[in-house]
Amino acid sequence: MFASSSTSRRRVERPALDQALRQRVTPIIPASARTLPVAPALAPLLPGGSLRRGTTTLVSGPVGSGATSLGVSLLAHASHVGHWCAAVGLEDPGVVAMAELGLDLRRVVFVPRPRAGWAEAAAELLDGVELILLQPPGRVPHAAARRLVARARERRAALVVVTATRDAWPLSPEVAVTVEHSTWQGAGTGEGRLLARRAEILVEGRGATRAERATVWLPSSRGEVTLAGQHR
Amino acid sequence: MERVAVLWFPGLSEEGPHGSEARAFADALDLVAVHCPFVTPVRLGLATLPARAPSRFYGGEEAVVALLRAALEDFGLRVATPVRLGLADGLFAGVMAAREELIVPPGATPAYLAPLPVSVLRRPELAAICQRLGLTSLGRFAALDAERVFERFGTEGVHCHRVARGELGELEGISDPRITARLRALGEPPEPVAQPSFFGGTSLAEERAARAAIRLQERFGPQSVQTALLRAGHDPAERGELVTFGARASSPRADDAPWPGALPAPSPTTVFATPRAVRLTDREGAPIEVSTRGLLSAVPERCAIAGDSRTVAVVAWAGPWPLTTRWWDRRRTRARLQILTETGVGLLLAAERGSWLLLGRYD
Repeated sequence: MFASSSTSRRRVERPALDQALRQRVTPIIPASARTLPVAPALAPLLPGGSLRRGTTTLVSGPVGSGATSLGVSLLAHASHVGHWCAAVGLEDPGVVAMAELGLDLRRVVFVPRPRAGWAEAAAELLDGVELILLQPPGRVPHAAARRLVARARERRAALVVVTATRDAWPLSPEVAVTVEHSTWQGAGTGEGRLLARRAEILVEGRGATRAERATVWLPSSRGEVTLAGQHR
Repeated sequence: MERVAVLWFPGLSEEGPHGSEARAFADALDLVAVHCPFVTPVRLGLATLPARAPSRFYGGEEAVVALLRAALEDFGLRVATPVRLGLADGLFAGVMAAREELIVPPGATPAYLAPLPVSVLRRPELAAICQRLGLTSLGRFAALDAERVFERFGTEGVHCHRVARGELGELEGISDPRITARLRALGEPPEPVAQPSFFGGTSLAEERAARAAIRLQERFGPQSVQTALLRAGHDPAERGELVTFGARASSPRADDAPWPGALPAPSPTTVFATPRAVRLTDREGAPIEVSTRGLLSAVPERCAIAGDSRTVAVVAWAGPWPLTTRWWDRRRTRARLQILTETGVGLLLAAERGSWLLLGRYD
């Protein structure tokens, strides 16, 4: 089901290190290579201020609560600076809204209706893109989730899963963001328009030391997803 | 029922090892299209065209069949496959007629189908049961009472029954939904997507993404992987378009010129490809209408979306914003309305010709 791709690396002959020096140096990977950037306004929400490669971020919230907007805006900055994204399982994506949230549509691949093949499609795309926004249909089987997470870790890609409920994703993600409550502002009895949405969110996960509550605009009246307040 | 001519190429019905069949089939359809318009592929090796207009133009159905046969003669010799032509009422009878190269006169379809065996419906279970019941021909199956057929065989049985009676033209499962897209893809050879990146050429990341997308297209079909284009327009569905990955952009990108009547940001995060019907009612349960002056007939109170059994209360709304387009041709007036339900969900609705549609949801 998940065909492994063969990557061929060319071996380069390097001069041997001095024995004394070898004991002192440790191989490092620059921090920027281990993470994918998020918009500065959202950075305080995530441990380390960015999306870590190879990890899963779960964004859950009922239909219409703004979970999809939040998921999209987590990817937006990375796509803007040149990383490729895929949106799998978002059946009817509002691409105009995604562009408004900052996603660079030139670097987004959509697989809107993979139906039963969503896990396979996501796994296949993990070979090609660095971020995946996944909206699985209903509850995710344990095995499928585990395979996907392992694949994301192996390919060093960031997986952002958007679900309606927290328990639709069977594993414990590195970061779990739950939209608990959201209210729209701007519409009344005919006048105005839907202008800004204020959402109470709960951020928890293995990376964060403890659960944190925050208020975010999804989006604000200026069309940006920003943090309105953070309280522990 | 519509008179259809059916073209059947027995030699092109099966996919060969080189995949040359689809290409030959597309060539054949091009040859036919020179003489008769609207020829549509049904599945590999099988195509249909409406016969009424060509038979009037060329002077009779026999003339159309003779003309198509002449047009395809050279082609048949070249790819070494015969072509079989049939003409009847509806696609199913047309396919049967093509097997025997017949022209079934108008109205004679039930009589023509009657002596055929039940197995031509391509439902092995149904055929086996009919055999045991002593119903050896389509005619005897068709003579059964429709209600009895429903009790015994369910909706699919009723569908077959209607086809056997000549009431319904097309048998389910006869057509391959992907064939049109496949043949169209043959016309334009797949090219690697080449978009200039920062340094002019294509970047490594881009190539990797394109390769993964193409692998996915091979597996799930070309339509499964898409990219988005923005353009100018009024509604979110007009302004954002999903196109097949790798297909060339059909129109220029959105310009920044003002577009009167467009909804300002934020746009709905979910834009339904096929908008669902919505019932918007007032306190008394009467449907809300939009007057010619662009005003709501009453205060919207309840909202029910087709396919969803629950009715939700409307707590706030904004609009309606009327919009008239194509006034020079077929005047199209619609009004957009944003509503906020009791569950806090924002919806974008549109009213057109007295009925409401759900355009999008602010997810």
